[in-house]
Amino acid sequence: MRKRGGVSSLRCLAARRYSEVAIRVRVGDDDNEAEWEYELRLNQDRLRRPSIRREFVAHNGKEILVRPDSKDKKDPERLTQTYLEQVHANQQFRDLATFLTTIRYLHIVPQLVREPDRSIGRVNDPYGGDFLEQLARTPDKTRNARLRSISEALKVAVPQLKELELARDVRGSPHLRGKYEHWRPQGAWQTEVEFSDGTLRLLGLLWALLDKTGPLLLEEPELSLHPDVLRYIPQMFARIQRRTGRQVVVSTHSTDLLNDKGIGLDEVLLLIPSAEGTEVCLANSFREIVELLKGGISLADAVVPRTRPHRAEQLALFGS
Amino acid sequence: MEIHVSGAVEGLLDEVVVRRLISFAGAIAGPIHVKNGKSQLLEKLAGYNQAASIAPWIVVVDLDQDEECAPLFRHRWLPTKSDLMLFRIAVREVESWLIADRERLAKFLSVPVSDVPVACESLGNPKQIMIDLASRSRRRDIRTDMVPRSGSGRHEGPAYTSRLIEFVIRGDLWRPHIAATNCRSLDSCLARLKGLVGSS
Repeated sequence: MRKRGGVSSLRCLAARRYSEVAIRVRVGDDDNEAEWEYELRLNQDRLRRPSIRREFVAHNGKEILVRPDSKDKKDPERLTQTYLEQVHANQQFRDLATFLTTIRYLHIVPQLVREPDRSIGRVNDPYGGDFLEQLARTPDKTRNARLRSISEALKVAVPQLKELELARDVRGSPHLRGKYEHWRPQGAWQTEVEFSDGTLRLLGLLWALLDKTGPLLLEEPELSLHPDVLRYIPQMFARIQRRTGRQVVVSTHSTDLLNDKGIGLDEVLLLIPSAEGTEVCLANSFREIVELLKGGISLADAVVPRTRPHRAEQLALFGS
Repeated sequence: MEIHVSGAVEGLLDEVVVRRLISFAGAIAGPIHVKNGKSQLLEKLAGYNQAASIAPWIVVVDLDQDEECAPLFRHRWLPTKSDLMLFRIAVREVESWLIADRERLAKFLSVPVSDVPVACESLGNPKQIMIDLASRSRRRDIRTDMVPRSGSGRHEGPAYTSRLIEFVIRGDLWRPHIAATNCRSLDSCLARLKGLVGSS
């Protein structure tokens, strides 16, 4: 909350005054979609500090926790902290608390990977500030195995790249080195400083996918990538997901990504801008989209026009 | 001398099939234009035909349910063909060409060979046949990848294309020359491709 500037900056822009911010999570698998349920509703107190309006946990439909309780009412200061974050209060739903900490958000900014000095002190930086440090912290055997399979996959997109390794410079800082093959028999070594944006982003994406932890949130994986590389990404996600069971959530504007015929209508959420805030709808809740697909229209052609900002055509008049 | 053949196809699976056929015919695959479906491909056909006036080109489209026979279809879309243009039609979809190598497909999908249809060109909907075959696979990973989930609203599973790409590009699986003995449209495509490479 602090990082995002408190309740008032997280609130829906279109909301009326004093609206709450609510997060509701259901965790489960295909057989039991709601093994765990968690809800957190927040607002702010008179000192503009975040204050809990409701915290709720259920396991298999049975209530475990409902706040505010009588203790909270006696001592409102308690409402500045969730039970979820406190180990002595979350014993009964520790599995859920641990699971939520495994969610990773990734949006590699190539320039931050190249200049780690900008992100000193950050750990698990979603923008890649400590990406090289993360690589260095991984046990040698795991890291080398992953780098081998990544360089195998990267060969498709960057055919000249033959080898990838992690090396330390004289100051001990880790660097990614790649061997590029050319007409000289020994090739040339380059580091992350020289890698293209696309290579770095794809590398970060593949690394994160091999990390078999919790759900992975990816922001616009299409950035800097060749459309012909992009087309294979949904299929790649599907195969990795089958193997590791890891859930991948992707935000995108890319028609190349959305053209994949294996993407289910029940897994596409459309973010539709409106005067009352952004509405989130499942693609298969629109009969028209279902019919367009039946008629041979691609998923991208069917959904992208619905997410277009109103009055986008006004941009044509800019500058006149 | 190395012969480079450019191409245009409907989708990702067709691309790898065409690349494989070009190298099987002894040539090198140049740029392959992957369009998103048949209508987009046919729209650009005049451009590809123009390019084929100076260098060899192959365009492969699925016949689907469009016409009764391939020659009629060919005549309608490309009445005047450039000398170096090879405009081939898969009857009815490129999946038929893969089904035509029955033994290897059965092995790849882990189904009995007897389940794989013999007359691959008389199948009304080869893609559906491929998915039905995959749904009978003994391997769970094949079923998960290729068969659409109920509720997905789609005709294919999440990694259907990538599985078949694997079947085509892994050297020890699909054999174009064996498949061609069982499939006329593939056989004539291969023969014409070899002819084009030989004469260039």
